[in-house]
Amino acid sequence: MKPIQKVILLGSGGLSIGQAGEFDYSGFQAIRSLEEEGIQVVIVNPNIATVQTTPKEGRKVYLYPVEPDWVEKVIELEKPDGIIAGFGGQTALNCAIRLDSLGILEKHGVRNLGTAIDVLRLTEDRDLFAQSMKAQSIPVPPSEAADRLEIALAAAERIGYPVIVRAAYALGGLGSGFAKNPRELRHLVEGALATSPQVLIEKSLWGWKEVEYEVMRDSFGNAITLCNMENFDPLGVHTGDSIVVAPSQTLTDAEYQLLRNTSLKIVQSLKIIGECNVQFALNPQSHEFYVIEINARLSRSSALASKATGYPIAFVAAKVVTGKSLLEIKNPLTGNTTAYFEPALDYIAVKIPKWDLKKFRGVSRTIGTTMKSIGEVMAIGRTFGEAIQKGIRMVTENESGWNGFVTHPRTIEGKTSLRLLPKALVEELAIATDARLFKIVDALRQSIHPEEIHQITQIDLWFLNGLAEVVEVENEICDRAQKWLNSKPSRAPIESASIKEVLNEILIGASQQAWKRWKQSGFSDESIAKLCLSQVFPKVLLSKSVWVDVAQVVRALRLRAGVRPVVKKMDTSAGEFPSSSNYLYLTYQGEVSDEIERVPGRRSALLLGGGSYRIGSSVEFDWCAVSCLEKLRELGWSSSVINCNPETVSTDFNLSDQLYFEELSLERILDVRDFENPEGLIVAMSGQLPNQLAPHLAQLDVPLLGHLWRSIDQAEDRKKFSALLDGLKIDQPRWVEAKSQIAIEQFVHEVGFPILVRPSYVLSGAAMSVAVDQETLKAHLSRAQEISSEHPVILSQYFDGAKEVELDGVAQRGRALATAISEHIENAGVHSGDATLVFPSQNLEPEILEKVQAIGAAIAQALILNGPFNIQFLVKEGKVLVIECNVRASRSFPFVSKVSGENFISLATEAILDTKDLPAVSIKAPLKFLGVKSAMFSFQRLAGADPVLGVEMASTGEVACLGTSVDEALLLSLQASGVKPPQKGVLISAGRMEEKARLIDAVDLLCELKIPLYATPGTAQFFRRRGLILREISWDSVGSTMIKLIQENALDFVINIPKDYSESELSRGYQVRTLAVRHGCTLMTNVEKTDRFLKALKRKQNGDVLERVFSLELACQGFC
Amino acid sequence: MYTGANAAELKSNQESSSSATLVLSNGMRFSGESIGAQASIEGELIFTTGMVGYTQSLTDPSYFGQILMFTYPLIGNYGVAHAQLDSEWFGQSGFESDRIRASGVIVATDSARAYHWQSQRTLGDWLKKESVPGIAGLDTRYLTQLIRSTPGLRARIVGGATSGSDEQFKAPGETSLSSVSTPTRRVIGKGSKRIALVDCGVKWNIVRQLIDLECEVELLPWSTDLSTVDCSGWLLSNGPGDPQNAGGLIDQVKKIMTADRPIFGICLGYQILALAAGAKTEKLKFGHRGHNHSVHLVGTNQGFMTSQNHGYCVIEETLPEGWSPWFKHLNDGTLEGIRHQSLPHRGVQFHPEAAAGPQDTRWLLENFIQEIRS
Repeated sequence: MKPIQKVILLGSGGLSIGQAGEFDYSGFQAIRSLEEEGIQVVIVNPNIATVQTTPKEGRKVYLYPVEPDWVEKVIELEKPDGIIAGFGGQTALNCAIRLDSLGILEKHGVRNLGTAIDVLRLTEDRDLFAQSMKAQSIPVPPSEAADRLEIALAAAERIGYPVIVRAAYALGGLGSGFAKNPRELRHLVEGALATSPQVLIEKSLWGWKEVEYEVMRDSFGNAITLCNMENFDPLGVHTGDSIVVAPSQTLTDAEYQLLRNTSLKIVQSLKIIGECNVQFALNPQSHEFYVIEINARLSRSSALASKATGYPIAFVAAKVVTGKSLLEIKNPLTGNTTAYFEPALDYIAVKIPKWDLKKFRGVSRTIGTTMKSIGEVMAIGRTFGEAIQKGIRMVTENESGWNGFVTHPRTIEGKTSLRLLPKALVEELAIATDARLFKIVDALRQSIHPEEIHQITQIDLWFLNGLAEVVEVENEICDRAQKWLNSKPSRAPIESASIKEVLNEILIGASQQAWKRWKQSGFSDESIAKLCLSQVFPKVLLSKSVWVDVAQVVRALRLRAGVRPVVKKMDTSAGEFPSSSNYLYLTYQGEVSDEIERVPGRRSALLLGGGSYRIGSSVEFDWCAVSCLEKLRELGWSSSVINCNPETVSTDFNLSDQLYFEELSLERILDVRDFENPEGLIVAMSGQLPNQLAPHLAQLDVPLLGHLWRSIDQAEDRKKFSALLDGLKIDQPRWVEAKSQIAIEQFVHEVGFPILVRPSYVLSGAAMSVAVDQETLKAHLSRAQEISSEHPVILSQYFDGAKEVELDGVAQRGRALATAISEHIENAGVHSGDATLVFPSQNLEPEILEKVQAIGAAIAQALILNGPFNIQFLVKEGKVLVIECNVRASRSFPFVSKVSGENFISLATEAILDTKDLPAVSIKAPLKFLGVKSAMFSFQRLAGADPVLGVEMASTGEVACLGTSVDEALLLSLQASGVKPPQKGVLISAGRMEEKARLIDAVDLLCELKIPLYATPGTAQFFRRRGLILREISWDSVGSTMIKLIQENALDFVINIPKDYSESELSRGYQVRTLAVRHGCTLMTNVEKTDRFLKALKRKQNGDVLERVFSLELACQGFC
Repeated sequence: MYTGANAAELKSNQESSSSATLVLSNGMRFSGESIGAQASIEGELIFTTGMVGYTQSLTDPSYFGQILMFTYPLIGNYGVAHAQLDSEWFGQSGFESDRIRASGVIVATDSARAYHWQSQRTLGDWLKKESVPGIAGLDTRYLTQLIRSTPGLRARIVGGATSGSDEQFKAPGETSLSSVSTPTRRVIGKGSKRIALVDCGVKWNIVRQLIDLECEVELLPWSTDLSTVDCSGWLLSNGPGDPQNAGGLIDQVKKIMTADRPIFGICLGYQILALAAGAKTEKLKFGHRGHNHSVHLVGTNQGFMTSQNHGYCVIEETLPEGWSPWFKHLNDGTLEGIRHQSLPHRGVQFHPEAAAGPQDTRWLLENFIQEIRS
């Protein structure tokens, strides 16, 4: 066979729930591994924010939808020897299967590398898979496949309720769920069949242990299991939404080997080549087990396993799919041992999902068989308490861990108060939600026995006992404070004493053993302070900066007692062999730190990562972090990273010199600072989380590189920033601090509704909302105050019909070095993270562009910026107003960097290090092509969430495509984000008169399609008067016609523009929107986007849109 | 089932828990919490990197006389099953012999509250019952690195008071196989093929597997005069210590190396076979103790994941004529198995019977039995 010289690697597209950053990690490792073998890699992935789509010598990047027609065009251009589908999630796998079915691979003589397509097909078809397992005497849960509702109902009767419904060919358990009766089954199956051709009805194994194995097999038949993982939540909660530990904690050797043997038997019988994930259900009272499913590709679990063990799974798998034997591959982590081994861990890794459900209006908080989480964290410790408490802090970004969730605080007597009736508690525990872990802790605090909780939740008693032990230590800390309090004859002197003095008195004299016990159980310094003070001052409410200060009292006392964490390596061999691994964590279960090899004499920087992915902080910031690390290395600096997100590239084993897989808390940053002693910290690369820490780090005298913390504060604090703008005579929307009722009323009187309500210091518009009347204003105000108690809530004028423009820039000591200006397709009012961006801007007058530039330069100068920054503007009637300024890298940095060909982060890194004066870089404008970035939404998975776009961000990912016209790039980009042109039927309901008017052209175009068009009465009347005939459906008959049309899949395109953001208006269209999304319709809730999309489609049909396929490299070289 | 203390008991345990000290032959000391019996013992300090199977490891006679440290920090999570001594060889208890064979135990954390449907007692209670001392709360990763860099490191567990901790360490004594071998000959199971199993400290799982393969097993004390034994095949078992201490047995094995009856050696049994064939053994700089040791079948690109527990190895260069390397360790290249080129005599350094650890080389025992049948 011809040796492999060039391959196409399929990416996973935009991030969505169930398919997130883990595939950037796996794809990127694969690229590096393949290139090491001298193979040229061509990447097809429209996700411009990923590391894998960064242009590099010898690599080719195609920003196109991962769909057969586009991939075929790339095949025609590049003529690769093979295609690799195992590293781009379900998207890549589905694409490869279709490429094969359509005969495209055969036609072009392209080999599929890795597991054979027929096997992939078999693993994806649950019925075929079950048959093949049975043929090997491997037990699978009793199940039947159905492609129609009636068949599903009959199958459930045979198997017996409760049953579990699973959709075939779906990622993240989409459309899956439990059904206890035919009614529930009907609901689930209808939803699932809307997006999937087949469902599976299975025996319910609720309460069984869920265990996963990560397996690798080479083409010579050598197979190993790299890691096993056990779910804290028993079967019933999707593994992506479960707390997961690695390795398994409650399995005996017999059970471990039984499931391991079965995993190996499966990959051998299917002749898997590369990675495979096997999921099991294990009876908690016997050795009975079933295979639940397998994923014959890299997955979220394999990414987690890779970070949990340190074994570079994707790196090795990539070599295996090109035909190498596992025996001949070296473990790159040790350099001298074989990759053919099974890692031994000497720590416990705990993964906790990040849900971020509060960002979605109306969403159900229960978790189950459909994945809802949007990111995850991984915590490493040497005790269960240490790891789980770390994990909780990582996922809540709360220094005090689960104490932030005390919903049943102890009374002053030191006993817990029983406010919940046991029955209510039972219900809270029985239903899995995103907060169940905290409910369990609360129950334990109320002295509910772990056995009782076990009976209700089926969570293994070992885990519950582990939590109970932590609660006991918590009690011990509280008791100490109680004893101190009781020793005081009167409360009077206490009331007047300073908090720090009280804390000092309580904790002074605590033994070294006590300190060790507290820290080994995972309590942070701040949580110890909180526990103690809560006993003395039950209503103590302090600002964050005071807590930072108070925690230092604890830290000082602890250090005096000689209790400090040690650094340990994750080396894949549990210390059996010497290792040069730089993969580190901190623990209190240990006396001596591992020796860390450092190259002496280099300048050093510590980069803070962004933590878990969430709405508003995703892979784009990982790209920024990686670009920064690469530049640091290039400039000869030594780099350390702190991050806790297993789905990232920045936590890969050889991108930094020291990698601390740790919390991004002040306490931990101080610990790492003590070990590494870097020249300074870089906080500007990884989004809002590290940026928010900057003022506190400065408060603690930790040196920062880049922007001054005062600049950060001045930009983040609305009041200070506004004063700055006034001083610079830069326009801004009118605003007021919502301090008093009078101030609010006066502002409303002056400006009128709508009014924007927003807290300071927030990311992705959290709790930002538009008030349209007094009622909504009141509701939004209280919500905003809840989110940010420390900073004032701001009311500002809201502009209708204004254009939104963004400037991304890099400055050195106040001098703007490079700027990039993009414009939004949507008018102001849609969060910039959800908006469609065009870069370079196409429709701005030169004088507006100049104004934007000038304002950018002025702000950079005034704040003496030193690093990356982003400014958002409103443009209306020739006026340019500044809305906000982020003095850090923004979401659009990878987009403007890749489209302009100038890596803004590399430049920003040099500016931050500030070793020499840098020349300004001019971004060639206009370029011969442009990019359009669109948002990717995951509403299909978020049952109940309102898919309407507004000022609060809701997208989970993004894609961007290039073109020589906005039309070309927009069509590609929207297609890549899942927007499909109408083909079956359209439903239109447009809110206000002016929006209806702006849709005239679009509706005109729709009429030409000769497909059924429906509209609500007002909308239908409006267009009828203009000669456009739409079938009228009244709102009253919601529940009948409209719902039925969607349910019968007669519609595939829904235009629903709410009049405003009032509760009544939103709830009117809510049912239609959620139903449309559930049934896989394209939903448009924005006028400008709808208009541009339909016009572009029309021009394409007329042959006016060029459709060319070219690589990012070619574009940047100025191909045309 | 749930085994362990309730919160109040734990608290009182915590108050009353006594300390224990680990004294190393290099002069270092580490104090932790005493678990198990309050006794002072001395032995070679070794570690295993296996993450499951502490019941199997602690009852494995190959660890006889050694202080066993687990590198995995959370030990005892699933408790200890009932030994099922009534159904001796068939139990699923995870026992590899009838009692704990390691002389002491070191863990980072022992689960005072264990839970598993098979669990009858906690690790701590079991250690107490069997009078084996242990220490919890030590930095086992650091100790692992010390063991790795200090060959032959010996240690002493000193319970409670530290009296006696300044005594000189004894020179490592010879392990007498009599302390782990069966005292009398006995026959287990029924079958057409009779396997003579020379017990140098056999793991029960070897017996279980032979019985699974429908063999009749005659268990022999290690000092048995093998010329008096009637069998269709020989199995030389695993066991503790330096193979060169097996003196008499090596000579006995020389006599049974005939063409008519297959011989299979496991671990110590394999080393004894090699010595009988005329090869030499030596102490490894770093012993192999874990469940993730990869070996390959010499001359192929086939690999196997094996469970290992040995401190000595057969020196490849000393293999006499007629013998070939069979398996080799993928990392350090040491011999992991040898076979005779024409006679049915072979042995492996690793544990095909696993327990604990991967069961990927179970086929070796099956092949051995098949060879007898053919």
